[in-house]
Amino acid sequence: MKKIFKIATLAVMASGIVYAGGDLVKEGAKIFKTKKIGNCIACHAANGVKLDGPGSLGPKLQGLSAWPEKALYDKVYNPYTTNPISAMPAFGKNGVLDDHQIKAVVAFLKTIK
Amino acid sequence: MKKKIIASLLLGSFALLNANGFSKQADKDRKALQAYFEKKFADRKNASTYFPYSTKDELDNNFKWGIKGDEFRLGSYAFDKGGRAQHDEMMDMPPFEDNIDNGKELYEKTPGMKKCFPDPTIAGDYPKYVKGKGVVTLSDAVVSCAKANKLKGWKLTKGKTADLEAYFANASKEKGKRVNVVIDSKEAAAAYERGKKEYYTQRGYLQLSCATCHVQGAGQRVRNEKLSPLFGHTTHFPVYRLKWQGLGTLERRIKGCNKNQGETPHKPGSTWTKELIYFMGYMSNGLPVDGPDIRK
Repeated sequence: MKKIFKIATLAVMASGIVYAGGDLVKEGAKIFKTKKIGNCIACHAANGVKLDGPGSLGPKLQGLSAWPEKALYDKVYNPYTTNPISAMPAFGKNGVLDDHQIKAVVAFLKTIK
Repeated sequence: MKKKIIASLLLGSFALLNANGFSKQADKDRKALQAYFEKKFADRKNASTYFPYSTKDELDNNFKWGIKGDEFRLGSYAFDKGGRAQHDEMMDMPPFEDNIDNGKELYEKTPGMKKCFPDPTIAGDYPKYVKGKGVVTLSDAVVSCAKANKLKGWKLTKGKTADLEAYFANASKEKGKRVNVVIDSKEAAAAYERGKKEYYTQRGYLQLSCATCHVQGAGQRVRNEKLSPLFGHTTHFPVYRLKWQGLGTLERRIKGCNKNQGETPHKPGSTWTKELIYFMGYMSNGLPVDGPDIRK
């Protein structure tokens, strides 16, 4: 009985994590698409994601699911650290997005195949 | 014969104004800019260099290649086939016709205006550098003329000023006038250099420079909109913008650019705005005046 309870608790917890993850992805997608927040869509298309008229200033995002989370976070926080001539804004360093928002964007980026 | 003499006199005076050496650097910049854009839009073959992230479909079907010189007066519609088609359709019934008529009336009936602007075909001659005053854009000149005549309600960005400018631009265009911004003193050259520096400086919380989008980025898209090139930017103002549902001056448009860069807009009439427009105007030197026009 105790064991079943434990498993049930774990299952609830696990689904909770999945649920929170899904929420974060959703929030990230919203930031990605919304002009007054991240507006990533202004410059980037994303592989396998249906977007309404993504721009072409930046590369089409693909294979990001294989990137470590930290690399994605750093890229959004300050792209100049890895590419000093990038035209991409430093969303974290310049205070456009806060820590939580960048984490949400990263969660969304991790879904891009 | 008489015409020929006048033409050679005009050419002579143009050469004289620009041969004094103060515009040497600016002329070099302008030529390099034109060469850059002509190369950029010369051929589909160069696309991987200049448009690395544009889709194959748009490169194949929505770009006009091989555009040169005067064609750049049209801004992004010089190379954006889809945008051009929409533009031409709207030009069947230009929404700014009333503005031109109103501008003509303002020109003829506003006290002092004719005295300030004896020749209305001068849209391409601004901005000017005036000793003691600094850079004077066409909007600055119109508003200060109104002020000198104690008239109220003339703004640098829209309304009566934009209407009058629409009349000036149209008259200049009909007469075949070209952009002819002059740098004829050390001070003027310094103002030009400051404007240029601002154009290439990253600004705002997005840290974009004007050039990010309008030199390197021209032809690439922000969402669905192809970015227009610096070469030819000032030729077609004032513009009727669908977003504004009305006419606006270059000053009004630049405020919007500042916002897009994530910056609190510089004031129209500020030295910053004037000197930026001086640089932009010089970069369009020699192109036909093509205003007013329609933009999204």
